[in-house]
Order: sequence, then structure tokens, then C-alpha cells
Amino acid sequence: METSDLKHHYSQQFNSELEGIRSRVLGMGGLVESQLEMAISALNRGEIDSAESVVANDEKVNAYDLDIDERCTTILALRQPTASDLRLVLAVIKTTADLERIGDEAKRVARMVSRVVCDMHDDSLLGRIVHLGLRVQQTLHRALDAFARMDLEAAIKVVDDDIDIDREYEDVVRQSTTRMMEDPSSIPKVLDIIWAARGLERIGDRCCNISEYIIYFVKGKDVRHTSLEQIKKEFNS
Amino acid sequence: MNPRPGWIQEFWRLVVLMLLAWAAGSVVDQVYLFLLLALLAYSLRNLYNLRRLAIWLGNPKFADIPIHFGLWGDVYSKVARVSLRQAQREKRLAELVNEYTASTSALPDGAVALDSSGRIRWFNDAATRLLGLQPAKDIGQPLLNLCRNPEMVSFVRNPDYARVLQISAPGDSERQLEMRIAPYGDDQTLLLAQDITERLRHERMRKDFVANVSHELRTPLTVIGGFIENLQMDENLQNDRMTRPLELMAQQTARMGRIVEDLLLLARLESDSNRNQSDRVDIGELIRNVADECQALADDVPRIDCEVTSTRHVLGDEKQLRSVVTNLVVNAINHTSAEQRVDLSWRDEGAQSLLEVRDNGIGIAPEHIPRLTERFYRVDAGRSRDRGGTGLGLAIVKHILHHHDAKLEIQSRPQEGSRFVCRFSSSQLVD
Repeated sequence: METSDLKHHYSQQFNSELEGIRSRVLGMGGLVESQLEMAISALNRGEIDSAESVVANDEKVNAYDLDIDERCTTILALRQPTASDLRLVLAVIKTTADLERIGDEAKRVARMVSRVVCDMHDDSLLGRIVHLGLRVQQTLHRALDAFARMDLEAAIKVVDDDIDIDREYEDVVRQSTTRMMEDPSSIPKVLDIIWAARGLERIGDRCCNISEYIIYFVKGKDVRHTSLEQIKKEFNS
Repeated sequence: MNPRPGWIQEFWRLVVLMLLAWAAGSVVDQVYLFLLLALLAYSLRNLYNLRRLAIWLGNPKFADIPIHFGLWGDVYSKVARVSLRQAQREKRLAELVNEYTASTSALPDGAVALDSSGRIRWFNDAATRLLGLQPAKDIGQPLLNLCRNPEMVSFVRNPDYARVLQISAPGDSERQLEMRIAPYGDDQTLLLAQDITERLRHERMRKDFVANVSHELRTPLTVIGGFIENLQMDENLQNDRMTRPLELMAQQTARMGRIVEDLLLLARLESDSNRNQSDRVDIGELIRNVADECQALADDVPRIDCEVTSTRHVLGDEKQLRSVVTNLVVNAINHTSAEQRVDLSWRDEGAQSLLEVRDNGIGIAPEHIPRLTERFYRVDAGRSRDRGGTGLGLAIVKHILHHHDAKLEIQSRPQEGSRFVCRFSSSQLVD
């Protein structure tokens, strides 16, 4: 794919700068992925220790965010990139922002672990949310893989996946509502669960955003606020 | 084929041409003009042939050779032969490469070759499966863009070729992988990934099994032991027929109880992740205590001497370390007779400290030494069982020492005695 080839500049330095920001975004993505994985396994097994380390590690995610932003600013100022280089820098800046938010959501889920898990193991609601979490985790992984390969088809598939995530989120909410009606004393805990589910659902949406930046980089077309059918029609024809 | 070499033919052809030109020229008295014309014609012909050669060289084949005789024919056939040989060699090489690629593809372990900047140069089918790589598409992509786990990143960036990394597979947290890195060529690395999910599951099952079985056996054994004791007290059964069997039953029940206890201890040692490292254990004091206890155990015990020159303490679990010393000393006593001796010592050797248990008893044949720490491995089955051994002592010693960052070294010669040394590293020692 010629668009993902970053080696087309005469300036070696510029090439390696562009390659560098892309690698750093993916490094940040890896960190966020492992944060999410840890948060979900903490939720699943009730490990409060690893939940706490997720909260502590969020610092590192923020440090990545600042570092990548600074690098991008430098490139914009010194190189004045055009065409696909400019699109890459913009995609990187936006992806970084989304990854940082995903990190925050993972932290929120981890915070909830200590409050909820101790009196809720083997609860079917907990099982549902862990399942939702694993699904979101996989979608994030696919979105970042698509970013590494600048793979249009994989990016569109991520947007597809998000529809399933939304559906599963609605199921969790419905089940939680029923639970609250049956047993009002469980309301505080179930509210926590709903917040966590909401966070996971938001992560799915952010994965979609990342896919849209990929499409923007490869095709030069801004597909935000466009329906999936339209996107598919445009690129599959 | 003309037997005469091409260049001689060509030479004679030139001579004949010159002679003809000279003859024709002398007839009309224009010798020089005719010679010049002949030479011109000759060189034009060569130029033409040279052009044909250049065209033919674009795709040199035997079938297309335009000239078969003379010097030019020679040149053509020789070039054709060389290129044919080259083509054959290339074909052989390609076959070899294909075969090699096919065989590495069949490997069950994932292999990825990386260049000096960490880009993927090549990978096999298993890597596609285990690491989620896409064939052809991912060649040239930096590996760390696809395997983004932070642990993996630091593992690949700062390669320690002796280290093995265990992480979950990218995109599949159920699957566990073991990663290794090996250098090859100039500045290239080979990353190997092995799927160990099954192995881990089996290991866990084995440990659970041993722990569960031992636990289940403990209660019935306690009950049986209690009743045997009751029966032994019963005055109605104090006769010649019953005393001996009851005694044997009590002995064997006690032995089985010890085995179960040892198995449980081992299971605990294996699964124990948060170890107690907080005690400051005075090994000198410990070995003196154990020596006194063992000396008092029976009359036919050999003499036990202690020599303590180190003042260092070990950071660790006092109960476990006591069990190490006891196991080693009891072993030594069991393999020496009353008139022989057992020496214990605790001394420094540079930054390390050594705990040594030495005897001049029956010793161990060299072929047994590497297997001594295996569970239930016995050099002489009858002997140690008579002495009440469980067959687990040295396995326990090895595990405890491993928890304390220490190593067990065994030296022995048959009929001369044995030497068991526990080597503690400086990280576990305090003054």
C-alpha cells in the first residue's frame, strides 16, 4: 500500500520523525490496551491490587499524550508537511487524544473494582460486563492493528463491530434496570455497573473515531458524521 | 562442430580476404584502396555481429543463436553455456529456499526475523497464528507496531538473550506465549514465540491434583492412626499375635502421614507467590540447635560437629530454613554409622555464604547425583524406607532454597562420604 509507505522523503530525518510519531502512538496504544486488559481482568477476578496499578499507570498514558503532542507540533512547525504527511500528523494528534480518553475510561472501570467486586462475585451482571469488556478490548486491538497497517477494510470492520458493542451495552442497561426494580437495596452497586458499562461503550465509540482517522489518512476523506452504509458504499464500489 | 578452434578459422578468413583484395587491387593497380575496402567490409561485418550479440544477450538461449561457426559461433555457444549453468544453479537455489521456507513454516513455534531497526523481514505460518501477523502485508512493518504490549516493547528494545518473556498473545488474552530472542547475522534478531497455554494448564492441574489428594488423605489417616493407638492400648489385645502387627500398622500410618505432610508442604512451596522474607535467621544458631536435637534423638547417631565462622543472617522464612537444615542433617545421619561423623558449617565465601553438611558415610554414586532432588527418587529404596524417609526431603530442600535465592550443590563419592552445600547469594544476606 503506497499510502502507508513513509519512506518517500529525501530527508531521512523527516522520514524517521514521521515513523517515530506513528510508532509512539502505537506504543501508547499498547499501554492503553494493557491498562484495559488489566482493568477487565481485575473486574473478573476481583483483584484490587491490579486495579490500583491501573489507576497508578494512567500517569504514563498522560505522559505519552504530552510527548506525542509536542513531537507533532514540532513537525508541523519545522517541516510544514503537506498532503499525506499532513494527514498523518493530524490523524496522529486526534488518535492520541482518543487513546488518552480510553485510558481514562479504563481507569474509571478499575476504580469501580474496589467498590463493587467484594460483594458481587458470581453475579450474572458482573459476568455480562466482563464479556462486554473483553469484546471492547478486542475491538481496540483491531483498531490499533488497522492503524499500524493503515488498513481500510479492517478500519471499516471496527465500525461494524461497534454496533454489536452498543447492542450489548443496551442489554446490560436493561438487565441492570430490572435488577434495580427487583431489589432497590442493590441500586448503588448497579449504578456503578452501569457507569462502567457506559465507559466501555464509550471506548467502543472511540475505536470508531480511530478508524475514521485511518480512513481520513488513507483516502483523504473526512467520514465523521457519515453513516456506515454510506462509508461502505463509497469505498467498496 | 568444426574441430578447428574458431579464432584460427577467423584468422585464415582474414588472411584470405586480404590476399584476395591484394590480388584484385594489383590487377587494377589500386592495391591500397582495395585493402582498405576489404578491411572496412570486415569491420562492418564484425560490427553487425556485435550488434546481434548485444541483442541476443538480452535473452541468451541456445535455440536463438544466430551464428554457429567461427569465432562468433564460439562466443555465442560459450555464453549460452554459462547462462544455462547459471539458470540451473538459480533453480536449485530457489528449490532449496522453497524447501527451507516450507520446513520452517511447518514449525509449531512462531518465528519472526527482524532487521536492525526492528522491522519484520520474514515470519512463518505459526507466527501468523500466534502473533496475529498478516502474511506478505506485514513485511517491513516495525514488529512493535503490531505487538504493542509494553512488556513486549521493553523486551524487544533491550534484548537479553537469556531471558524468556511470558505474556498473553496479542489480541487473545486466553492464550499464553513464551518469547525468546536470539541474535543472528549482522545486527539482526530472531524472535521465537511458543504457545504454552496447554503446558500451563497441565502444570496447574498437576499441582491442584497433588494438593487435593494429599488434603483428602490427611483426614482418613488421622482417624486410622487414632484408632490404631487405641487398639494398642487395649489390654485384651496385648498378646504375641497382635502386638507386632499393630506396631507395624502404627509405623506405616505415621510414615504415610509424613509423606502427606511433605507433599502438602511442597504444594504450598510451589504455589506460594507472596513469600515470607522478613525473618532475620541466624543460621549459626539454627544449625547448633538442629545438631543438638538430632544428637539427642537416638543413641546410635554419629557425632555431629558445628563450625560457625560467619556472622551473617539470612533474610527469609525461619521455619522453612529449619526444615532445610533438618532434612540435610537427618539424611546425613541416615547414611552414616555410629562411629562415623557429620560436620556442619556456616561460613562466608566472598559476598556469598555457605551452609555445608558433610559426612564420611556411604556416599552416593555419581549417576544418582543429578536426580537426587526428584520426588520419590531413591538410591537404595529399601534402606531409606527402613529409616522412615519420605523420598521428598531433598525436593523440599531444593524448593525452599530456590525461594531464598540459594543453590544446592552436591558432591559425593561412594564409601568416602557426601557434601551438601547451600550457597546463599548476597541479596538475601545481612550482617
